[in-house]
Amino acid sequence: MNFKRKAIAAAVGIMMAFPSAAALADKFKIGVSIPTATHGWTGGVNFHAKETKARLEKVYPDLEIILVTAADPTAQANDLEDLVSIHAIDALVILPTDGGPLTDPIRRVKESGALVTVVDRALTDNTIHDVYVAGNNPELGAVSAKYIKKALGGKGNIVILRGLPIVIDEERFDAFMDGIKDTDIKVLDHKHANWNRDDGFTVMQDFLARFPKIDAVWAQDDDIALGVIEAVKQAGREDELFIVGGAGMKDIIKRVMDGDRLTPVDVLYPPSMISTAMEVTALKAVTGAPIKGEYIVGSPLITKENAKDYYFPNSPF
Amino acid sequence: MSATAQAENHDAVVLSATGIYKNFGPNEVLHGVDLDLRAGEVHALLGENGAGKSTFVKILSGYEAPSNGQLLMDGAVCRWTSEEAEDAGVILIHQEFNLAEQMTVEESIFLGREIKKGLFLNKGEMQRLSAEYLEALDCKASPLARIHDLPISDKQMVEIAKATSRNARVLILDEPTAVLTGKETEVLFKLIDRLKAQGVAIVYISHKLEEIERIADKITILRDGTWVGSYPAKDLSKDDMARLMVGRELNDLYPRINPPADTAPIAMSITDFSSPGKFEGASFELREGEVLGFAGLVGAGRTALMEAIVGLDSQSSGSLTLYGKVVEFKGLDEARNHGVAYLTKDRKEKGLLQSLGMCPNFSLFSLHKFSNLLIDGRKEKDAFHAAIETFDIRAGDLSVNVGSLSGGNQQKLLLAKVMEVAPKVVIIDEPTRGIDVGTKSQIYHFIAELAASGHSIILLSSEMTEIIGLSHRVAVMCAGRLTAVLKGDEIEEHEIMRYATGLKGNAVNE
Amino acid sequence: MSSVTSQLDQKLGLKLDLKTVGPFLALIALFVLGILVNQAFLSTGNLTNILTRSSFIGIIAVGATFVITAGGIDLSVGSMAAFISGCMIVIMNTLAATMEPGIMIVLAGVLASIILGTAAGFVNGFLTTKGKIEAFIVTLGTMGIYRSLVTYVADGGTLSLNRATRDVYRPVYYDDFLGIPFPVLVFLVVAVLGYIILNRTVFGRHCFAIGSNENVARYSAVHVDRVKTLTYIVQGLCVSIATIIYVPRLGSASAQTGTLWELEAIAAVIIGGTVLKGGYGRIWGTVVGALILTMIGNILNLTDSISNYLNGTVQGVIIVVAVFLQRGSWRLSKKKK
Repeated sequence: MNFKRKAIAAAVGIMMAFPSAAALADKFKIGVSIPTATHGWTGGVNFHAKETKARLEKVYPDLEIILVTAADPTAQANDLEDLVSIHAIDALVILPTDGGPLTDPIRRVKESGALVTVVDRALTDNTIHDVYVAGNNPELGAVSAKYIKKALGGKGNIVILRGLPIVIDEERFDAFMDGIKDTDIKVLDHKHANWNRDDGFTVMQDFLARFPKIDAVWAQDDDIALGVIEAVKQAGREDELFIVGGAGMKDIIKRVMDGDRLTPVDVLYPPSMISTAMEVTALKAVTGAPIKGEYIVGSPLITKENAKDYYFPNSPF
Repeated sequence: MSATAQAENHDAVVLSATGIYKNFGPNEVLHGVDLDLRAGEVHALLGENGAGKSTFVKILSGYEAPSNGQLLMDGAVCRWTSEEAEDAGVILIHQEFNLAEQMTVEESIFLGREIKKGLFLNKGEMQRLSAEYLEALDCKASPLARIHDLPISDKQMVEIAKATSRNARVLILDEPTAVLTGKETEVLFKLIDRLKAQGVAIVYISHKLEEIERIADKITILRDGTWVGSYPAKDLSKDDMARLMVGRELNDLYPRINPPADTAPIAMSITDFSSPGKFEGASFELREGEVLGFAGLVGAGRTALMEAIVGLDSQSSGSLTLYGKVVEFKGLDEARNHGVAYLTKDRKEKGLLQSLGMCPNFSLFSLHKFSNLLIDGRKEKDAFHAAIETFDIRAGDLSVNVGSLSGGNQQKLLLAKVMEVAPKVVIIDEPTRGIDVGTKSQIYHFIAELAASGHSIILLSSEMTEIIGLSHRVAVMCAGRLTAVLKGDEIEEHEIMRYATGLKGNAVNE
Repeated sequence: MSSVTSQLDQKLGLKLDLKTVGPFLALIALFVLGILVNQAFLSTGNLTNILTRSSFIGIIAVGATFVITAGGIDLSVGSMAAFISGCMIVIMNTLAATMEPGIMIVLAGVLASIILGTAAGFVNGFLTTKGKIEAFIVTLGTMGIYRSLVTYVADGGTLSLNRATRDVYRPVYYDDFLGIPFPVLVFLVVAVLGYIILNRTVFGRHCFAIGSNENVARYSAVHVDRVKTLTYIVQGLCVSIATIIYVPRLGSASAQTGTLWELEAIAAVIIGGTVLKGGYGRIWGTVVGALILTMIGNILNLTDSISNYLNGTVQGVIIVVAVFLQRGSWRLSKKKK
């Protein structure tokens, strides 16, 4: 997973250059399996997947995309069986609900001869996928740490609101801690807020009650950040601190764009990575191009200056 | 030693109890009870409700441990659990059945001692044996039927079949006939005779003195947890039994109730009441101040008819006139508001909330009386205390759950609950089931007072003497049809039986 | 005999006491624990937070007390809350597009919420009584339906209330009256009303009767179906009231809103001493139950001596101990003799 190939832009470019696919006699079928929209980010994934499906099917008449959503690993494994046995897919794009338990079901899809593109969450065996498209969790942590370090001048008190206790959260957290290692920045405490607004609100309320002076909050997710903002406002401590979220939710990007003091920046972790994965897979299908490898979507810092490039008012996320 | 020692002694003592005491916390409920059970003997245990009979037999069968005293089985001291007692052949059939409602008859009979073939249950064998046991009891229930679906009498038979399947040496029957019809009771008696012949010792608890007189060889009487004495049955008359139980002379059991005057208005008249599959074409009239008995076998449709009258059966049809006005009850509340009330025979499942206190139970049926927007707690309490007096409900602590009251007190509470709405027509279904003689007499007197004060009463009972003793007229139902309305000299046990069994009479209309 | 009865009275009294104060003991123990863990626990701000936070679950749990007392169960409340919140936001946003922002829009949202809550409660009640389906299954079904409807309405994302309306609505959550936050006041009013209705009205008494034994209730002229349906409507109304004060907090609703609230509400009810299989319920116990649940979360956030991963364990242990305190009292009181 340490390969870094910033080749997405190029890949998309190539694909757009070959809009016709007359060479294909049969319809080429791509199965797309993603988690149910249970929170903002997966909602964004759903939005982008649907939009990309429509767009790709229009561009390539011989392409059929079957989109399925699943709430948990078991349901997703069932979906995979159906995609192979009923739809006889030629390629699979999957954002696993959980990489571990889905490794074997995906291996079986691979064994059926389909091309496999894995998105965001790695499998326990990384020889299965043909293509891996992912956000860069350690980078999200590192970029956040770098900004906070700079903004605080290398010293101050911060609190951290973490996500759900899974690998993604660990990677972000470890990289962040690494980033502030040799500074005078003190982490007062870190608690799980489960990438959830309500939890972000309550955890932050309690941090505020507990610590008289907080200089910055790393919320690492925009849903959590929204809850944190409300708690800080309620306590009337807006002038004391700033908040760094993550993902790129439109509400937060809007605030960044507007120059909100409380949320000066955001760090990208775009749900649109599913589009990238689908586009790359479609390209392979249409052109037969030997596409293989890992595409890591970067986590750039979104500031007031560049915010408008990341603002999609029509997206649900 | 007990008086039984002097009694004739043709068989060996199987189980004997000496000086049994039992405390529940500070409350001593048994004060030294003695009993010798002999093989092939029916030993009746008599006493009013609360005399300690049930506690005593629970000790005999290992469900409770005595606080003091000794049990000897075949001369050896035993302190056992109910499982050990069962293994030794001492089996108690509870007053409240101990059957899992969702299991089948066969599963119930073999519960805990299933016959296996290798690792698996030998269903076929168990079903065959179950059928055999039930056959011997003249019970028609299928081994595959669910307990839940059985009539109450069949449940009793299943309990007895379960006991006989276990080679009982001592069989304890706690009010077995309370839920049985006359015919079923006969079958039970035959069975008891057979068990006697096989040398089984039987402890028999019942409030029905006729039964005791008929089948008991020996009688032990308890009063308030005290051992009164053990007597050969032939030495005691029914009056003796009642006197020894109560400790005082009883008034006449059945009070005299003056018949309504010929000019008394018709309080209620029922025309052509039918409900598919339950009863059809029932018509009768009820005069003010009259007690109309309803006799019939279990399943004849008496209860179903009464439930239909008070609006509890949405399938029923027929017309109902109250004091000359045609009315129709769509629900029990409408019947209540028109002054017609029904006392169910099933105290536990339909009459009273066992897990709640007495006061909320008392006021549940008449709650509208005590409430505008909010319930007037004071008014409710006052009415409750008044009812406790009126109906002579005896409970040490008024806050206890109804479930812990004796059957007699529960029945009085149920009566109080229904009478609180001041009905004109009262339908009473089995007013004295499982109740001691003292309370029975109280309830009979109460019914008499009601009739004398211008109430009209319908009395359903499976105790023939009760029907005959209290009713002015007796309606008899058989298989869903009203076959006779008897009056005067016609009211006689055999005549009623002939109509109840369908030997005589087709549908009659008044 | 009379001395025996009086002794018996004493014993019953003792048993009753322990049973009644069980939840209170747990609350006090937690309170002490909170103070030991962190002095900040006692700050006015923190105590206010606890009260305000417990109001959502608390209000919903008051409704659940009725349903459970009458022998039912409602698993759909969390999803229902999410669905109603979502609908409120959509309706208010739609109105805001055509109207000046203001109190009228908020009132329209509140009205919509009440109508939806009542309707949703009625559906649960109707299917349970007239449809003769177990409440567990009916509400499991509606739970899934509301949850997916809100996901659909939000298009998988988050519904946010437009800013102008939000500014008007915000005080409903954040402002206070004489230092008591509005949500706490609403909670208090709902609890008091709930107490009166459950304990002092015919409807409340009928809930006890039905939960205790439906057949006895029917033979006592209680309209069983009507009363049961009403309990679900009361539950729906409580959910609606909870959402009315929930929406202004974050001004948003998503598929995640209200997840597991049903279990928290049921837990609050049971911790408070209401019997899960019906027949006995007490509102103030439910209130204490809701406070206990919120306080556990709060205390865990105030300490870093317990691993984050063990939060669930701590919650589970405290819930079980709290319930044990009141159930175990039966045995305790006997041994005291």
